[in-house]
Parts: sequence; C-alpha cells; structure tokens
Amino acid sequence: MSGSALWYLSRATGVVTVVLLTIVVGLGIVTAGRRRPAGESATIVMGLHRWLSLGMLVFLGIHIVTAILDGYVPISWLAVIVPFTSGYDTLLVGFGTIALDLLVVVMVTSYLRHRIPERQWRVVHWASYAMWLVALFHGFLMGTADQAGLRAITLACAAIGGLMACWRVVATHSDKERRRTIDAQEWS
Amino acid sequence: MTNIAELLETAGLTGRGGAAFSTAIKLKAAKENGAELIVNVCDGELGAAKDAWIVAHHLHELIEGAALVASGRRPRIRYAAHRGSRTAGLLATAGLPVLEVPHRYVSSEETALISLAQGGLARPMTKRAPFVFGGRDSQGRKVPPTVVLNAETVWRVSQIHRLGAEWFRSFGTSAEPGPRLVAVGGHVARPGMFEASAGVALTDLLDSAGGLPPNARHVGVGGLGGVVLTAAEAQSTIWDTPGMKRHGGALGPGIVTVWNPAECPIETAARMISYGAGESAGQCGPCMFGLPALAADWTDLARNPTGMGRDHLLLRLGQLERRGACAHPDGVARFAQSALRTLAPEFAAHANHACQKGRTQHAQFV
Repeated sequence: MSGSALWYLSRATGVVTVVLLTIVVGLGIVTAGRRRPAGESATIVMGLHRWLSLGMLVFLGIHIVTAILDGYVPISWLAVIVPFTSGYDTLLVGFGTIALDLLVVVMVTSYLRHRIPERQWRVVHWASYAMWLVALFHGFLMGTADQAGLRAITLACAAIGGLMACWRVVATHSDKERRRTIDAQEWS
Repeated sequence: MTNIAELLETAGLTGRGGAAFSTAIKLKAAKENGAELIVNVCDGELGAAKDAWIVAHHLHELIEGAALVASGRRPRIRYAAHRGSRTAGLLATAGLPVLEVPHRYVSSEETALISLAQGGLARPMTKRAPFVFGGRDSQGRKVPPTVVLNAETVWRVSQIHRLGAEWFRSFGTSAEPGPRLVAVGGHVARPGMFEASAGVALTDLLDSAGGLPPNARHVGVGGLGGVVLTAAEAQSTIWDTPGMKRHGGALGPGIVTVWNPAECPIETAARMISYGAGESAGQCGPCMFGLPALAADWTDLARNPTGMGRDHLLLRLGQLERRGACAHPDGVARFAQSALRTLAPEFAAHANHACQKGRTQHAQFV
C-alpha cells in the first residue's frame, strides 16, 4: 500500500470512528435518560449501544495503526497510550490518545460490569462524555481542517451529541415528577 | 389485679380500626417489649366518626383504657388526631399529649403514625415485622417498639376491665363478640353514631338512622377500603364477617353510607377512586402510578363502557393486589372491584346512553 493510501485510510476511518462514537454516545444517552425506552425497544437500543461500540473499535484500530505506519509524520507507538509524547502535533495527537485511554477504561469497566459495584461503573461511564468531546476536538482541529465536507460531519456530530446531552439533562421521568408533586404535599 | 391481656383474650376483643386482629396478642407483645402506645383517634376512613365520638362522650374511659394498655412504670402514651380537628382540641384541653396528624388518608395508617411519632413524615413504612417489636424505617433509623390501637379498641378495654368479659361476650356473635360503634351516614334521615354488634341485619343499622330511603339505590360499607352494595343486597345482608365476605367486604371500621341517589353512582365511585389515587404517599410504584391509572380507567369506562375497557380495568385491579407496603392500593382496588360488580347495570345504561342521573354532574362523563 502506498503512503498516501494509508493516509487516506487513516482519515477515513477516523471520521467513521467519530460518527460511530457519536451514535454510541447518543444511544447511551437514550438508555440513561429519564425517559428511557422500555421493553423490546430497550433491548434494541442497548444491543446497538454495545455492539456498535465494539464495531467502532475496528475503525479506531485501523485509524491508529495506519496513522503510525504511514510514517509521513513521526508518531511513536508509545504515543498511542501515553498522551503528549507524539513528535508530530503533540497537543492534538495527545487529545486522540486521551480519548483512546478513556475509551479503554470505559470499555474494560463495562465488560467487567457484573464484577464492579454499579455506582463505580456509572462514575467511570460518565467519562464517556469527556472522551467523546476530546475525540471531537482531536478530529475537528487535526484531521479534517482542509476538507469542508469532513469538517461538516464532525460539526454535525458535535451538534447532535450536544443536543442529546441537553435532552439528557432536561428530560425528567414521570416517576420523579410524581414523587416531587407528592413530596410537596403536606405530610407532617 | 387480673392480667389484662388474659381478660381481653377471654373477652375476644379485636382491633376496631378495621384489621380485626386480636388485641390480646398485640397487647402481650406490647407489654413484653415495653412498647410506646399511640391511640389512633383519626377517623381516617371516609365516613368514619367513632373515634371523635368516643373523645367527645367517653374521654375518661378512653384515658382509663390507655392506662390499662400502656406498659412500663412511666408509659409513653400519645393520641393521634388530625391537626386542627375538634377532637385534637378536646384532647389537648384535657391535657393529653396529641400527635398532630396531617389531613391525609394514608397518614392515619398504623405505620404512618409511628413514622410521624418518630419525627418522620406521616407516610406508611414497610413492616418487616410488626413495629411492636421495634424495627427500622426505610432510612435504617431505629424505631422503638410502638403499638398503635384504635380509639374504640382502647375504649372497649376499659369497658371490659370494668364490666367483665362476660358482659362483652353478651353482645355480637360467638365468633365476633362485643359491642361495636357504627357510623351511619350519607343519604339517611338521622345520620349518627350507633352501638351495634356483629350479626345484626344491615337494615337494622340503617333503621336506627331513619331507615333506608325508598329512593336509595346503593349502600357503601367500610368507606374507601370497603365495598358497595345495591339497596336490595343491603336489605338482605347480615352485618358480620361471613355476611360481608359474601360481597367481598369486611366489618371494617364500622361505616355504613347510603349513597346519594341524585348522583350517578358511577360518578360517586369515580370521585372516591380519584380521591384514593390523590392520597397515595408516592412510595410504591403500584400505588403512585397504579391508582391514578385505575382512576383514569374508571373514567374511561364510565364514558365508554365496553367489554374491553372492563377487562382492562380488571387487569389493572389484579396488578394492584398486595403490591403496596401498606394496604392502601388493596383497599382502593377492593372498592373499585366491588363498585364494578355492583354498578354493572349502571355501566350497561351508560353504554346505551341511558343514564338517568343528573345531566349537570354528568357533563364531564357522557
């Protein structure tokens, strides 16, 4: 494979990863949200959330490996796991590294979820928001700066994810609403 | 001094708050655990008035009974009454410690009173074991042994102590001995409080209040936690546990209410079910969501009585049974079940758009 093919492959898989990551985070937000789906749709949403995250790893793996193998810019293998050690664009590659590290932590804890207290798993899982944001910065500022189309995709991901996060915060649950109404009544 | 618990066992006194549990057993446990006493003077059930009547007419005997029941050398006795009620005022004037209870249906439930007495909210607690042994609330805070007795139960204790078990057993049936207070109200000429006993005919109870009016069509027994009968059923029903069980009811806290014949009975029931839904303490899902859903189902069925709607309602009722920490959802479900059966002709009339009762109240339904 020629050098530029690797470079194109790295960019393409990077963009696909960001899109998939946004979808996975979105599905996660829906599951965690106060008006979460119930019954069969809950199973579908949950299954998609889990399997798409796994599928995303394929694209992410190719993105990382091709970026290093390409060799046009110096990125060491160490920079894959240790942030800010890359020779090339230390800051922005570092963002990608941070996102990967967070992803590893989130996924490992999720696969060990049945062995971890729910509360601790949840706290770790909150890191997904940071991971998603850092990955977006990495993608937007670094890879797609010279291509309007790719840039638009990243922006769209940011917009959709941001809206969903807002919904997550604002949406309330009927349980909570009813409880709040009753709590406000005279009880003592 | 004779052992009071033994005396009560001989007399066969049971809780007059509606649960009809043996007072002797309760009292023994209370004495063994040195339990605090709460006398429930709330008249919490819809139509209840006997607790207030006892305070108004037999306060000294009530105090005497409480002293007999309370345990320890310096017993802790409190009288639970609705805040701002005349009864609370009378109790306070008599210098008695009053536990002021908010005006909520479930707040006068046994465990809700205990929770309130411990400085918590007047909401029912989960009974892992009877609180007479002491226990913990949902936050894990310790609850000292506490026994809650209905005011009539306590009053009867003083009577039995004074007049003997023999006297007590000369009233009622051998299975359900003793005099009982019954509040007869609603659409009757002389509503009031009457001394009765298990085994009397329901018509006799109604007669003491001026009789069942000829235009009366439905009679409620036991309030929101009770049942509703047609006038014909009421005329042939014996007021004891077997007699009431035939209609899915019980003696309950002694309440007979003749429903207003000028109002559509489906609407009367709807009002009661909606009230019950609004009184949920919001602690158990089947209660906080199930009861409003039940009320909505009832309204839907009143508007459009189909077999499917009826099945839906019955399904809903099944989902409420025994699924609350307290018996509130059970009580409302039992009432709705009974009303659904008793008001079948009225539902049929609604299906034919032929309900005769007052168009004005009906506007929201049909």
